[in-house]
Amino acid sequence: MFSAFFFTLKERGVPVTPTSFLRLHQALSKGLVLSVDDFYSVARSILIKSERYFDLYDQIFAHYFRGADLADLDETELDEVTRSLLSEWLKNPKELASVLGISEEQLNAMTPEEVVQYFLDRLKDQTEEHHGGSKWIGTGGSSPVGHSGFHPGGMRVGGASKNKSAVQVAMDRRYKDYSQDVPLTQSQMGEALKRLRRMAPEGPRDVVNVEKTIYETMRNAGEIEIMFDRRLMDRLKVILMIDNGGWSMDPYIHVVKTLFDYARNQFKDLTTYYFHNTIYDEIWLDPPRRRKPESVLDIAARDPETRIIIVGDASMAQYELVSKGGSIYFGTSSRTPSIENLRLLADTFRHAVWMNPAPLDEWEFVWTISAIRRIFPMFPLTLDGLDEAVQYLTARH
Amino acid sequence: MKEKETLSRFKGASRYVLDNELAQIVNVSMALEMPLLLKGEPGTGKTMLAYAIAENLEMPLIVLNVKSSMKLVDALYQYDTLTRLNDSRFGDSTRDVSNIEEYIRMGKIGRAFTAERRTVLLIDEIDKADTDFQDDMLDVLDQMQFDIIEVDKTVKAKHRPVVVITSNAKKDLSDPFLGRCNFHHIAFPDAEMMQRILKVHFPRLEEDLMQASIGTFYRLRQIEGIEKKPATRELINWIRALTADPDFKISSLKQGNPPYLGVLFKKSPDLALANRIFGVN
Repeated sequence: MFSAFFFTLKERGVPVTPTSFLRLHQALSKGLVLSVDDFYSVARSILIKSERYFDLYDQIFAHYFRGADLADLDETELDEVTRSLLSEWLKNPKELASVLGISEEQLNAMTPEEVVQYFLDRLKDQTEEHHGGSKWIGTGGSSPVGHSGFHPGGMRVGGASKNKSAVQVAMDRRYKDYSQDVPLTQSQMGEALKRLRRMAPEGPRDVVNVEKTIYETMRNAGEIEIMFDRRLMDRLKVILMIDNGGWSMDPYIHVVKTLFDYARNQFKDLTTYYFHNTIYDEIWLDPPRRRKPESVLDIAARDPETRIIIVGDASMAQYELVSKGGSIYFGTSSRTPSIENLRLLADTFRHAVWMNPAPLDEWEFVWTISAIRRIFPMFPLTLDGLDEAVQYLTARH
Repeated sequence: MKEKETLSRFKGASRYVLDNELAQIVNVSMALEMPLLLKGEPGTGKTMLAYAIAENLEMPLIVLNVKSSMKLVDALYQYDTLTRLNDSRFGDSTRDVSNIEEYIRMGKIGRAFTAERRTVLLIDEIDKADTDFQDDMLDVLDQMQFDIIEVDKTVKAKHRPVVVITSNAKKDLSDPFLGRCNFHHIAFPDAEMMQRILKVHFPRLEEDLMQASIGTFYRLRQIEGIEKKPATRELINWIRALTADPDFKISSLKQGNPPYLGVLFKKSPDLALANRIFGVN
């Protein structure tokens, strides 16, 4: 049943797993789904795991069920559908076995054809004894689903009734707003950056060390001797370099500012530098890039364990990156080509990343992005990208 | 403090307006014996739902507030070595020092497993913990058992608790985690639903004020560039503030001049923005 619906979801890019599909059948077999309305919410809660896909789900649901009854697929169609699911199932035999309610050994002993047959048989069980349900998997006789009315032990479904059918609800597209990618906010960045902190004992001795206390107490012939440790504090050094010049960075100012604000709260030892487009011989401590220059050579003499996070769109004219004197600003010295400075930083600091706010699909069309990517690992300035970058920065290299 | 506050506020879960869709999803999760993962904007009542479920099912509720520094074992059990050490030194308690089990205390998950009756286990704000915690916890909830290594004992769940997990994160949790949960996203209530919610909280609120404040509230939510939009909780507090002020007149809302914006906007840039648009201070 409903395999075509499942497949449409999959085709349209909703990540649905075969396991969740089986679970849906399990739910159906328990007699929990009595109408299209029930099916709408139950299938969504089981199949769809992110509100980002709710809108797509609504559209596909409306398309699929508009005016249609819950028609069964005929057997040959089902057979095909199942067969094509099989390859995916077999990637995770353990999970498949548990969902089918057999042991892994039993599963391994079956040929693929037998597995399909077993699955189809279970489906048949289900349609034939719709309310008995005990043949399906994992109920172990303890199903909370009972007989009278709805389910004793289940939630009482209260008086107020829906005045719309599920299809109408789906056509409302209530979740349209959730389908876009979410913007980064400070607290989300915080969660991602927090993992970067490296805790080391520093600060007051105010944490009881139980092991040591027991040991010392025993040495003391049972007279209690409480031992304290220093509290853990973050000692990570972080350097943030931000491209704050030029119209090409303008659209990203907000997101970069959020990153900066958060980083400032998060790390004790944080230095922020500013540059325009790329890094020449000097880099600035003041945002207007005028008063407080610092030479890149000096920075390269710092503790090599320092984490470097460079934020910029890495988009510029080719000569700005590779020629001597490539800076488009008069008075900015660039005796060495910028790309050499970047290499110097990348070679000195093992933990360095470049965060790029430009959309990922533009990267391959910008020559300088590709060139810089060969020097620094580059991540998109999104929540996922930030996560990956943090993983890279904390890993040992 | 927080606990006390929530306790008194949720005393009647009749205060939670539950829609049918949600009830249905809760039922399916219970039938499939899967945890229910709830997401939604802060203030849409994710936590309150668990209280409502517990009351509705007449089961005790156990709340595990996840913290970023938390280890899974803290949620399962604690071995109170210090008390044992103290007892062994001074020997003035009734506990048997040679019996380690007397010093094992159940954590929140442990208590849900050992309870004499079925409970609702709320795991609040799971996104605060790291992914390892999340995945390991689901292993425990999957198997419905865990080991106490100090006494080499396995604790099996007497009754499978109804597990409700909430997450504030906009980011998705890991795939294996999601694969083992049922999912529901609580959408922000529309004006009609909001009216029902307010009626539960303020049974005697004048219709006029209700309409005007809801109207203003949804307009305020639509201001571009707000980082933290005001939610139901803020609206309720705001109406409390409005009704408590003897000088307040409904006309100020209608004229687009809402007072006490600070109750609605918790972040100073947001408040400044709202004040700029509505021109009051």
